[in-house]
Amino acid sequence: MAMRKVAVVGAGMTKFMRRAQETGRELAFQASRMALDSCEMTLDDIDAVALGTAPDAFDGLHMKGEYLSDGAGAWHKPYMRCYVGGGTGVFAAIQGWYHVASGLFDTCLVVCEEKMSSCMPHPQGAFLTIFDHTTERALKPNLIWIFALEMNRYMTMHGIEKKDIALVAVKNKRNALDHPCAQLAANITVEDVLNSEVLAWPVQRLDISPTSDGAVAIVMAAEHVAKRITDKPAWVRGVGWSLDTAYWTSRDLYYPKYVEYAARMAYDMAGITEPRKEIHVVEPYDPFDYKELHHLEGLLLADKGDAPRLTAEGVTARDGNMPVCPSGGMLGVGNPIAAAGLMKISEIFWQLRGEAGKRQVPGQPKTGLAQSWGDLMQVGCVMILGV
Amino acid sequence: MSLVERITTSADAKVWYDNIPIESLYTVGIAGEKFFRAIKDRGVIMGSVCPSCNLTYLPPMMYCERCLAELEEWVEVGTKGTVHTYTVVGVSLEGEPLEQPEILALIKVEGAHGGLVHRLGEVKPEDVEIGMPVEAVFKPKKGREGSILDIEHFKPV
Ligand SMILES: [Zn+2]
Repeated sequence: MAMRKVAVVGAGMTKFMRRAQETGRELAFQASRMALDSCEMTLDDIDAVALGTAPDAFDGLHMKGEYLSDGAGAWHKPYMRCYVGGGTGVFAAIQGWYHVASGLFDTCLVVCEEKMSSCMPHPQGAFLTIFDHTTERALKPNLIWIFALEMNRYMTMHGIEKKDIALVAVKNKRNALDHPCAQLAANITVEDVLNSEVLAWPVQRLDISPTSDGAVAIVMAAEHVAKRITDKPAWVRGVGWSLDTAYWTSRDLYYPKYVEYAARMAYDMAGITEPRKEIHVVEPYDPFDYKELHHLEGLLLADKGDAPRLTAEGVTARDGNMPVCPSGGMLGVGNPIAAAGLMKISEIFWQLRGEAGKRQVPGQPKTGLAQSWGDLMQVGCVMILGV
Repeated sequence: MSLVERITTSADAKVWYDNIPIESLYTVGIAGEKFFRAIKDRGVIMGSVCPSCNLTYLPPMMYCERCLAELEEWVEVGTKGTVHTYTVVGVSLEGEPLEQPEILALIKVEGAHGGLVHRLGEVKPEDVEIGMPVEAVFKPKKGREGSILDIEHFKPV
C-alpha cells in the first residue's frame, strides 16, 4: 500500500477554561485561525477539513459537526466529523493524516472543539447514557465510578499505592504552570491529593482533570507542500488505533490491551523496534493520574506495573530521560475532550520543533508520541511524529 | 417470526421510559453579545462586514466563513427587509391545531448576506407575498432581554 509522507506544519490552540464566553464555533474559529497563521497559510491553501468533537449533548446541539463546520474553515470543502469519545483528538488527526497520505488531498486542517460548560448541571448527565441501558444504567453509573473500578484493579494487581499515583497529578499540574493556555496549573503536593475529597474510592478530587471549554487545530500537508511551507515539518511516522469489546465487563481492566495494539501498529509503521529508546517525549492521555501510568504501560514504554517507579525516580519529569506530559497534560492544561487529544499532538509538534518555550524538554527530541483514549474505556489512538 | 410480528402492544414487552438528565446553558458568544446588545439597548440590527469578501453577515459572525478573517467592522443594516419566503404554520410542535395560525418568514435585508427568520405580524396570511417589504417591530425597551424575541415580529411597510 503506497502512502504519501505527511507532516504537521502548523498548530494553534485557545486557552482551556472552565467557561468560555465564545460559542463553540467561535472557539473552533480561533484555533483554526491560529493554526493557519502559525504556518502563514490561508484558507485557500486548505484542501479538506477533518473535525473532531465529542457528544452533541455536551454543547446542547445536535449535528454539532455541521454547526462547527464554518468556524473550522470547511465552507465549500470536503469535510468529515469523527467521534470516538475521549479518543477523538488523536483519531481526528489520524483522519487528517489519511486524507493526505491517501493522495486525495495535499493539505488538511484538523480541528477539535469542546464546550462542556454548556452541559448542566454536569456532563455526567450525558455520560450516564454511554452505559448499557438494560444491565447497567439502573445503577446510575458515571465515569468516575468505572474509572474507580479500573484504578482499583490496576493498584491491586501491582501493589501500587495511592501516593505513588498522586505523583503524576503533582508533576502534570506543575508542568502546566509553564503553559499559557492552562486551566488548572498548580503547585500541589502528594498530601494535597491524598487529602482531597474522595469521589469514588480510590478516585479523589485531585486525581481528576477538570471539565473544560477549548479548541485546538493543526495543519497537515503532503511532503512536497510541507517542504515549501516550513523547514521544520514534523513528519507523521506512524499511526495506530484499536477498539476493544464494548462488553467491558469481559476485560481485565488492569492493562489496556487495546492501547498496546494501537501502539504496535504505530511502531511498526514507524519502524520503531525499541520504543523506550526511540521515543524521546510522550503525551499519553491523562484524564486521571493513574491513566498516565496505565497508558505508558500499554504503550510499551514501561513494564506492567513499573510506570509509578519511573515517575518516582524522575524519569518522566520534563528534564528526565523520558519526559511525559511536559505540556501539563489534561490534569494541568484541562480536558475539553476532543481538543485535549489534539493538544497532545500540538505539544509533540512544538517540542520536536524546539518551540515549546518554558516547557521545552532538553536534548532536542527527534521523535515523540501522542495518545488518546476513549469510548467506553476501550479505544486507543496513537500518533508518532518525528523530525 | 420476529418479535414485531408477535407482540402487538408494547405492554406485552418489557419496556421503560427514561431520559438523558441534562440541560444546556448557552452563551451568545462574542458576535452575539454585540448583536443582541444593539437590539436591546438601541433597537437596531447590526451586521458584521468582511471587506475582503465584500460580505455583510446577518446574523453577524465573529469571523468570515469564506476567508476565516476575524471581522472587526460592524454596520447597522437597518430594520427593513423583504419577505424572501414564508409559511403559515397550522399545527403546534405537539401536532395540535393552532387557534391563530403563525406566519414564519425568511427576511432578507438589502446589502446583507444571510437574513433573519422571524414571525410576520399585523398582516393576514392571505395578504402575505414573497417580495413584500417588511420592517421589524421591537418590544418596548424596558421589556427587552437581549433575545431574538426582543423583535416582536416584522410587519408590512
Ligand atoms: Zn472573508
